[in-house]
Amino acid sequence: MAWLDSHLLTATVFLPLAWALAGLLVPARAEGGSGAIKSWTLVGSLVTFALSLLVYGRFEATGAAEFQLQEVAEWIPNLGISYNVGIDGISLWLILLTTFLTPIVILSSYQAIDRREKEYYALLLALETGMLGAFVAIDIFLFYVFWEVMLLPMYLLIGIWGGRERIYAAMKFFLYTVVGSLLMLVAIFYLAYQHKVQFGSYSTALLDLYKLSIPGGELLAPQSILFLAFALAFAIKVPLFPLHTWLPDAHVQAPTAGSVILASVLLKMGGYGFIRFAFPLFPQAVALFQVAFMTIAAIAIVYGAWVAMVQPDIKKLVAYSSVSHMGFVILGLFSLNALGVTGSIYQMLNHGISTGGLFLLVGMIYERRHTRAIADFGGISRTMPLFALAFMIITLSSVALPGTNGFVGEFLILLGSWSASPALTAVSALGVIFGAVYMLWMFQRVMFGPIKHKENENLVDLSFRELAVLAPLVVAVFFMGIFPNFFFGEMETSVQRFLSRSNLTVAQAAVVAPEAPAAIILQDPGKGN
Amino acid sequence: MDASTTIRADLLTLTSEQAMMLSPYLWVFGGTVLAMILSVTRAIQPRLPVFIVSVLTALVGMVVSLGLFAADRVMLFNNMMVGDSYANFFNVVFLASAALTMLASFEYLDQERLQYGEYYLLVLFAALGMMLMASALDLIVIFIALELMSLSVYVLVGFRRADRRSNEAAMKYFILGAAASAILLYGTALLYGATQSTNIRDIQAFVQSQSGGVSIMFTLGAWLVIVGFLFKIASVPFHMWMPDVYEGAPTPITGFMTTGLKAAAFATFVRIFISTGYGDGLPAAIQSHMHDIIVVCAVLTMVIGNAVALTQTNLKRMLAYSSIAHTGYILVGMIAGQGSEQGYAPVVLYLVAYAVMNMGAFAVLAILAARADQGLNLRDFSGLSSRQPWLAFAMSVFLLSMAGIPPTAGFAAKYLLFYSAVQAHEIGLVVISVLCSAISVYYYLRVLVHMYMHEPEEGAAPLRPVSVWAAAVVASMVVLTVQIGTLPAGMLAAAKRAVMSL
Repeated sequence: MAWLDSHLLTATVFLPLAWALAGLLVPARAEGGSGAIKSWTLVGSLVTFALSLLVYGRFEATGAAEFQLQEVAEWIPNLGISYNVGIDGISLWLILLTTFLTPIVILSSYQAIDRREKEYYALLLALETGMLGAFVAIDIFLFYVFWEVMLLPMYLLIGIWGGRERIYAAMKFFLYTVVGSLLMLVAIFYLAYQHKVQFGSYSTALLDLYKLSIPGGELLAPQSILFLAFALAFAIKVPLFPLHTWLPDAHVQAPTAGSVILASVLLKMGGYGFIRFAFPLFPQAVALFQVAFMTIAAIAIVYGAWVAMVQPDIKKLVAYSSVSHMGFVILGLFSLNALGVTGSIYQMLNHGISTGGLFLLVGMIYERRHTRAIADFGGISRTMPLFALAFMIITLSSVALPGTNGFVGEFLILLGSWSASPALTAVSALGVIFGAVYMLWMFQRVMFGPIKHKENENLVDLSFRELAVLAPLVVAVFFMGIFPNFFFGEMETSVQRFLSRSNLTVAQAAVVAPEAPAAIILQDPGKGN
Repeated sequence: MDASTTIRADLLTLTSEQAMMLSPYLWVFGGTVLAMILSVTRAIQPRLPVFIVSVLTALVGMVVSLGLFAADRVMLFNNMMVGDSYANFFNVVFLASAALTMLASFEYLDQERLQYGEYYLLVLFAALGMMLMASALDLIVIFIALELMSLSVYVLVGFRRADRRSNEAAMKYFILGAAASAILLYGTALLYGATQSTNIRDIQAFVQSQSGGVSIMFTLGAWLVIVGFLFKIASVPFHMWMPDVYEGAPTPITGFMTTGLKAAAFATFVRIFISTGYGDGLPAAIQSHMHDIIVVCAVLTMVIGNAVALTQTNLKRMLAYSSIAHTGYILVGMIAGQGSEQGYAPVVLYLVAYAVMNMGAFAVLAILAARADQGLNLRDFSGLSSRQPWLAFAMSVFLLSMAGIPPTAGFAAKYLLFYSAVQAHEIGLVVISVLCSAISVYYYLRVLVHMYMHEPEEGAAPLRPVSVWAAAVVASMVVLTVQIGTLPAGMLAAAKRAVMSL
């Protein structure tokens, strides 16, 4: 237990991988199906969730250290590379999101996956390790390793268990990400080398790299180029318009669990990368590109919504809605104030819950009807009332109805971006309206009206297992919508720290008057309605 | 009497340090001779004894070299050879690669009805040639060692005598290789004319003493020597022979060529590279001139190797082009060698990582090759994950390592290599390199696609049983690939120690 106490993060990150390896010993096809491996994996993911709750318990919201539960071990001392993990109030929630969703997607795969189950569940757990590792790594080399490692399970999940165009989609997903991340790698080399030049020793620890002074301010200054190299990698992952084209393919072709993980966690990796690396390392470049990126984000919001509106396929519609929703995240981040950034982080969590939920629901209906075309449905609410109810709640969360989680995030982002750029905020607010249009229109076409297709008359409502999959998400939608402050408490210190690094004006103001940070203090935005 | 006609006793006797340093060479030579005698003995069935003696020769020689790794530098034969950590480091690589090649070949040769003792002898002679190459300091010795290695490999490439492709490959390789040897020899002659020496240290000292630049004869000689080596490492534009030779050679020999041969050529190339105009303290004009041309070669090698590999459907051919691409990356490391703090250590580490993953990959191919080396097309790999899950897994590890995906040896090596290039301010070159390696991901992953995402072909030929030897090779290479990938510090320290002794 003493070991666990001092290595809690390591244990949380690597438990799923160890569990997956042990799971390879579980007989895949014992008499009477593959129940053993399913239960084994589910238990593993639940234990991981329990460990992450322990992490939550140990985290102090107002801790003095920038990164808590830190663990450091030498790795490649020659180049100053170390195994260095730790969390702050931002990564904490993303870790919890990951561990919270993994058991859900495992449970959701029980029936959808009927071949090569052992490999499937092992890959899901390996993927969890990759994602958690990327969230806890505070050594840039370690981060890069996890960032790349998690590609592979996702690639295989899409490529083996996906739909008809799965190979094309998997390849596209992998290549897009690799191209982006390799340029980031060159930027990482440069940073590591700069540390040697400026401080005389090798280091890739993030806190050391924050201290670098890199010339910036102009378009072709090193800082700008480095920022763009990082931003490319993260923007592909987010994905930001116009780098989003891999996403509809990957989402539509992936098996349900893959889509959920992709939307809920992997896309967050992009936003998280901006927060953890691109912004604090290159504040001058952020100031330089602020308007450009906010403009792109606004375009992404509106464009994603428009394209979503005309999709005949539910899954594709949800995929494009991701482009729109993740545009909000970028908009909030680049507004560079406490409201916008907090809203962005919150929106990342929300998007994880609501879009993840939508993909799960699409998966459930697909298992019954083997189609996802909106035109093949209609009047489902009569045969599947429970399904319709769950669908409605998640849909409303996605369109940001007050009282649900989506509202808090988008509201904060728009408040924050208003002070940065009212015009772009106005454009982006249109995205909220379009969002309501395409989601509710789709909901209406699928759920209401007369039953046009005979096959829909005898659909079975949600099973107990499916209810167990959806219930935690529904609870989370309301809990996050009604008690946002529960989450803001942990984030606040980290967000302030983030701003003092990334926003030049805040950083300068903090030097003049350390008592009064220039950012707005968060009240309870939930009361805003 | 002048010095050339006296017999100097100190050249004919060996001190105990020198004898010690020479022991791996003598051991390998002795073992080879023993195997040769066994292979022609009619009293016994030579198949197994020759195999065992040969493998043991290589393995014990490897252990001895490993023991000598930390020893001090010893000059041998009037400075014509040197026993240093660098040489011993590569001796380990060569002998390991020879031993693994033989282990992976045993079953393969049985299947192809090629189980002749000569095969093992030639592998050992080639390894001995490589060892001499890596420790030679004299261009003449380098040439002789190179010929020992090349001649053995020419024969090995054509070992499938009944197969036209194999014959063609051997012939092509022989003619082009002979031409390259001639170029190398001509360059040596010119260098001798310009510097009055064939010893690369003397040549280096000569260059350093020429403050006003060097003569045209020297430049031409240096270039011819370097071209000879660019041919051996298959850098564009001297790469044409490679895909045909790789495709035609028996599969384990192709593996031997990508690992041992490549490492030997590069190990010697680094020594020569430093001495012929790219070393420390040279006039800037010589260095930058050389630098530019090598940069062009490196870029072309990476771009052409990767671009052509994209279209290949035969795995051996694809790996041949990928080998060309990797040559390009290593050239980047060579260019960066002088300007970065790690020196040539990343190059050495990359060679080891490359040898490990290629040895593994070709061992897998040797297992999968159907009769007459057929069945190595992409579609033959369809559904391999359900037919041979462990082989498919091992192959994926090697391919991902070649693509440079963590946590594999290929990633660690690439990271260090490109990092040293950034240190040497070659950022443009690094950007091109990483983009090329992004391209390479596509063709490596395509094999994965076939293995994991396609169903087995209808009526696919049943796979051969996997022999214990070959399985051991594959398994140990998987372990090494992951080990170097996750904990590269140890191997990097060894590589650093090796290049420090240069």
